[in-house]
Amino acid sequence: MERRREALVGLVVMLGVAVGVVGTIWLQGGLRRDMRELRAASQNVGQLVAGAAVRFRGVSVGHVDAVNVAPDGEAVLVHLSVEPDLVLPADAAVLLAPESMFGDWQAEILSRADFELFSFLDYPEEGVLPAAALPDFSRLTATADQIARRLTTISERFEVAFTEETALNLKNAIDNIGAVSDGLSEIITQQAARFEDLSEGVNASAAELGAAARQARLSFERVDSIIANTQVEGMLGDAGATMSNLRELTESMNASLGDLRSAAQRADTTFARLDELLAAAESGDGSLGRLLGDPTLAEGATEAVQELRALLADIQENPRRYLSFSIF
Amino acid sequence: MSIYLTEVRKAFGPKEVLKGFSMSIEDGETAAIVGPSGIGKSVLLKHVVGLLRPDAGSVVVDGVSVPELDRKGLHRLRRRIGYVFQFAALFDSMSIAENVGMGLRRIPGWDRRRIEDRVEDCLSLVELAGMGDRYPAELSGGQRKRAGLARAIAPEPKFLLYDEPTTGLDPVTTSAIDRLILRMRDELGVTGLVVTHDMTSAFRVADRITLLHDGRARFSGTPAEVKAASDPVLKGFVEGDPDLYYRDGWRREGMHAGGQDHGA
Amino acid sequence: MTNWLLGAFAFVGNRTVSGLQGMGRAWGLFLGATASIRNVDVWLPHLLPQMARVGVASVPIALFIATFTGIVMSLQASYTLTGAIPVYFVGTLVGKTMILELGPVLTALTLAGRVGANISAELGTMRVTEQVDALETLAYDPLAYLVVPRVFAAVFMFPIVVLLAIGIGIASGWFTALQLLDMSSPEFVKGLRLFFEPWDVWFAVIKSVSFGAVVTGVGCYFGLQTERGAEGVGRSATRTVVVASMLILCLDAFWATVLL
Ligand SMILES: Nc1ncnc2c1ncn2[C@@H]1O[C@H](COP(=O)(O)OP(=O)(O)OP(=O)(O)O)[C@@H](O)[C@H]1O
Ligand SMILES: [Mg+2]
Repeated sequence: MERRREALVGLVVMLGVAVGVVGTIWLQGGLRRDMRELRAASQNVGQLVAGAAVRFRGVSVGHVDAVNVAPDGEAVLVHLSVEPDLVLPADAAVLLAPESMFGDWQAEILSRADFELFSFLDYPEEGVLPAAALPDFSRLTATADQIARRLTTISERFEVAFTEETALNLKNAIDNIGAVSDGLSEIITQQAARFEDLSEGVNASAAELGAAARQARLSFERVDSIIANTQVEGMLGDAGATMSNLRELTESMNASLGDLRSAAQRADTTFARLDELLAAAESGDGSLGRLLGDPTLAEGATEAVQELRALLADIQENPRRYLSFSIF
Repeated sequence: MSIYLTEVRKAFGPKEVLKGFSMSIEDGETAAIVGPSGIGKSVLLKHVVGLLRPDAGSVVVDGVSVPELDRKGLHRLRRRIGYVFQFAALFDSMSIAENVGMGLRRIPGWDRRRIEDRVEDCLSLVELAGMGDRYPAELSGGQRKRAGLARAIAPEPKFLLYDEPTTGLDPVTTSAIDRLILRMRDELGVTGLVVTHDMTSAFRVADRITLLHDGRARFSGTPAEVKAASDPVLKGFVEGDPDLYYRDGWRREGMHAGGQDHGA
Repeated sequence: MTNWLLGAFAFVGNRTVSGLQGMGRAWGLFLGATASIRNVDVWLPHLLPQMARVGVASVPIALFIATFTGIVMSLQASYTLTGAIPVYFVGTLVGKTMILELGPVLTALTLAGRVGANISAELGTMRVTEQVDALETLAYDPLAYLVVPRVFAAVFMFPIVVLLAIGIGIASGWFTALQLLDMSSPEFVKGLRLFFEPWDVWFAVIKSVSFGAVVTGVGCYFGLQTERGAEGVGRSATRTVVVASMLILCLDAFWATVLL
């Protein structure tokens, strides 16, 4: 009786402890082997947190141990634990990016030469890998939205002062944007055809882009005639419409681009430029007329457009480089 | 080896049970406390082992003041005291033998065999030999009471407090228990305090009898003195005459036999 | 009017005083029991029987509850997680909630009824039949004899029971996912492992230890406080379940703020 009770208690205790210990080890994914420590430095890390996966050529090879700001405050140091026998490329770099649209961030080890576009941070210490973080899509969308809003505001205030020269400059800029959006829609249509698994959303946005571009084109033609007739008011209305089209375009672009993360990276800087420019235009010294007369506005816009164009050309030439991440 | 109670007072809320009770029991003496039901006899007894603390007055057992003892001191004292509970208070999760052995297991140096032998001896003393394997629920009220007695005497205490050891027993067993109480006194020199309302029993075992009445010791004396006394309350109690006992107008709560109404 | 006010104030005052008194007594019990741990020879022989009573005997009911909790969690998770959220999150939800919350808390609440009420009724009966007094007169420390082995047994066995319950809960959730939700084992396991941290298991263990102490401590407290016969025993058992359950939930919130 007494012995039976002892045995029963012992059995239950052992079972409980076994469930606890074995379960924990199993859920952890087996006993952790001795891992190799790596460090990488980046300007910022987006939403990367300790515990995130580390991948190499798509294979999970470890996890992020810790993320902390470098002692000098100029960078973020990411500590990685990877499998000990992993052979890294000579010019290994780390790209921090979301694993999927769903949002978990991961650290990807890659060869820097294949991804020159990204601004990897070179940390002045031996053994620290350069790293870069992709911009967040939400940030991108927000920026685009801000730009569109500013453009609208500016166009609303157009009537204060308007010279033919400014109009021409602006017309050129807008023309360029129109051309770019055209090109963009074309590429996306091509990509959609090429990568069947891109969702229907992309097709729809491509159509939308096309429509937006056509509308933009229409507006530009109107601008041409307006300038000829100096029908300023009508033109203003059209400019407003164009701006809201552009806003739609950026929105749908951001929504549909999805995995075109590299493109997004470039678009982000472009938008940021445009944004700065417009912010300067808006705040300046209060005289909107003078600002609008300032040719730098148009120049800046043109410059931005040129960058966009370069990006698009690059996407066209090397679609794999940008689309290789597509993990829908 | 003596018990002194001086001016002990105890109240439960507004209800005063003891109102300045005094008595003394000398070494080797067996005293009886008598009184009607609900008067405070069990309460009084619990003061002696420190289960209750007096509101005022002193309780001195074997030269130490019980209310001032800490846990350790109380335990040391209680090892020398055996307490027979009115309702036996047997541990009902244990067999009778285990119950009786409880106090023995606390004695250093006692092994299993010795404990078992002693338990068997004590059970035969109370005429329960061979019943050690039973559980309290399987015994009659009288048997339980005797098992409780066996448990109290097993560790050979120097003091024995009996709370109505013979109530509810047949006359033959009652005599046997009374004889046991006397044996404890005569052979082991135990100082005893017997609470009872059985006067026959009290006259048989007690060197001195105290009547607890209205929270105080109404009368204290040898059995001969009790028999000779003229105090109407004592006489009323001894003879079992409520008219006499309640004559001075004192009434216990819950009882409606008013002495004055009858006496007038 | 003034009478009414006076009554209200008196009520509040009375409750405050009796509440503080209760806390004081509980603190006294705690200190007394802590001091009684020294009397190892008194409580040690009772530890194993109590472990069998508190722990082993509670395993069936705990596993029964965990099984159904796992099934329900699995079904409800799949019902809630539709559309954009990947299906393997059923595994995450079942695992996380079983380990962090439902395993320890549901088990403890059940055992508050099973173990707490049992202890309270047992000690209450011992109190009203003077068995506790009898222990004292036999020079046993009732705290060392009655309270310490029960609390220790629970502190030791609650985590064991909870770990078993968590294991069974996850297993039944898994089984449900396979049989009723058309999920595959790798999917479920992926979800299970996705956010798992060993710390979660420690968290569950710490919680169960505290729940074990609370359930048995409250049971002992109300049991030893029992007055007035059979009715009092019943009242103590009821109070034990109510107070222990409330304390379990408060402690649960406390640990969540302190440890997570
Ligand atoms: N713990 C307690 N709380 C409140 N009142 C109590 C308590 N213990 C005893 N009393 C009261 O004290 C009084 C004396 O009780 P006690 O048990 O000493 O009577 P008794 O003389 O032993 O009676 P009996 O011969 O029936 O055993 C009773 O009225 C009882 O109600
Ligand atoms: Mg009594």
